[in-house]
Amino acid sequence: MDISEAELAAKVVELDEIHHDVSLPAMQAEAHEWSERVAQERSAVEARSRLNRRTFLLGVGATVGAGALLAACGSTSSSKKSSLSSSAPTLSPATLTDLHVAALAASLENLGVYAYTAGINAAKAGKLGSVPPAIVVFAETARAQHKEHGAAWNAILRSAGKPAVTVTDPVLTPVVNKDFASVTNTVDLAKLALEIENIAGETYLSAIGVLSEPAAIRTAASIEPVEMQHSAILNFVLGTYPVPNAFEPTTLARPTSDYTKL
Amino acid sequence: MTNDSFDPRPLNELIEQSNDLQSDTMHQAREGFAETVELGHELRSRNELDPDEAAAVANERRTMLRTGLFGAGALAAAGFGAALFSLESTPAFASAPTDVQILQSNASIEVIAINTYKTALTLPYIGGSSANGVIKAFAETTMHQHEEHLSAFNAAAKSLGGSPQNSADPALVPVVKAAVAKITGPEAVVALALELEQAAAETYVKATGVITSKSARTLTASVMGVEAQHASILLAVQALLKGNAPQLIALPPNAAALPAAAGSIGFPDAFFPIANARPLGEGAVQ
Repeated sequence: MDISEAELAAKVVELDEIHHDVSLPAMQAEAHEWSERVAQERSAVEARSRLNRRTFLLGVGATVGAGALLAACGSTSSSKKSSLSSSAPTLSPATLTDLHVAALAASLENLGVYAYTAGINAAKAGKLGSVPPAIVVFAETARAQHKEHGAAWNAILRSAGKPAVTVTDPVLTPVVNKDFASVTNTVDLAKLALEIENIAGETYLSAIGVLSEPAAIRTAASIEPVEMQHSAILNFVLGTYPVPNAFEPTTLARPTSDYTKL
Repeated sequence: MTNDSFDPRPLNELIEQSNDLQSDTMHQAREGFAETVELGHELRSRNELDPDEAAAVANERRTMLRTGLFGAGALAAAGFGAALFSLESTPAFASAPTDVQILQSNASIEVIAINTYKTALTLPYIGGSSANGVIKAFAETTMHQHEEHLSAFNAAAKSLGGSPQNSADPALVPVVKAAVAKITGPEAVVALALELEQAAAETYVKATGVITSKSARTLTASVMGVEAQHASILLAVQALLKGNAPQLIALPPNAAALPAAAGSIGFPDAFFPIANARPLGEGAVQ
């Protein structure tokens, strides 16, 4: 069949330029805005902690003489120490929830990258039989987008003083590994990818209902439709109706308890 | 006073309350130009508006609309771009609609989508017996999904004390009408549907970041992904029609025969854009 790809490829390039010139900078600006707010809150928390310690030291110095310093510290420090430890600085519950969502999201994006990488490697090794070029391009593009999503969430975590999430969702990974062991062709791979994309999309929808920080909501809102688009194309390739639901469900949404090492 | 002793939380709360009060006043007073400038100054003072950034965004939108994917489309050719410039080119001049107004405006977008698909299905190459079965089924199913969206947005508006919106977005009606008059084949229909779906999706992404009611936000978010999926499939269909491969518009398609670039045409952006979002509240009940 004689099909010219030149015009199609040109349009793809144009869309890629729009992505890099407009949407990606806008997304990076959103993530940066949220990162700055979390960093400000963290600074405020640390400042209060320094004030508490400073107040404690000033109080001790005002009430005891030099000779009795050690004894006074011994007798007063325990009560002061307990009040300090009981008021250990922490971010607000809303911010912590947002950060837990960010960590979960990063782990899910890592899972997407992991799964597509496994699929691409299997295809290159000839383990999936004949792989159509469009499927390869799909996998490579989806993987790249998931990498960008993960990077956005990790930037936010790092700005909050939390470590970047580099692992895949710990609860889903063994399930994906088990399922991938059964993948022998591109149809199997597409079905596994579809499941992961649906989980990601539905998790973002669920998250949008609990997030507090506007920039966090906007970040999730800008990623969720993309995961849904991955799902639509996978459905199309698999021969199932590409847009099966009028409203996106959340039955497959993962809880933040999937990833707890914040 | 040292920086160590300053707790910014109460001030932030006061600023937020002030922002809410200011927005309510703007709506009630139907502010004129002086009040619009005042809003811009307030946004700048809170570093929520960078004039250089606003100018850059406006310029980028103009460039996109002139030369980008939607710049040569029906909506732009029929004046959509000019209307968008006047409403959205400078963020400082944008008013802040209520949740009810946003939901009503969402409903008005669904109305125009329903009407457009309804019209499309009267065309023989979309809804007729000789039409591609997948395209016909897509048009019918998508229209029904938009009907469900309309009902849901109106129910949500009502639950927040508003009235339903069953009229099409007035800013889009003449534009779509003009575009429909120029349709001569399936490619033009797909192009128009794609612009509407993309605009809807982008509008709902933007609205999700603004709506304050959690239930209304979740509803809008549950719809935005679906509109994005509609756009995704239309992008793929458009590419196959332009590539003179309508026989590949099938369920399942002959994947081996698909051009390689078709693998990524359905999701051009890692982060869904909002540059072509309609002004929130544009189609609210007047």
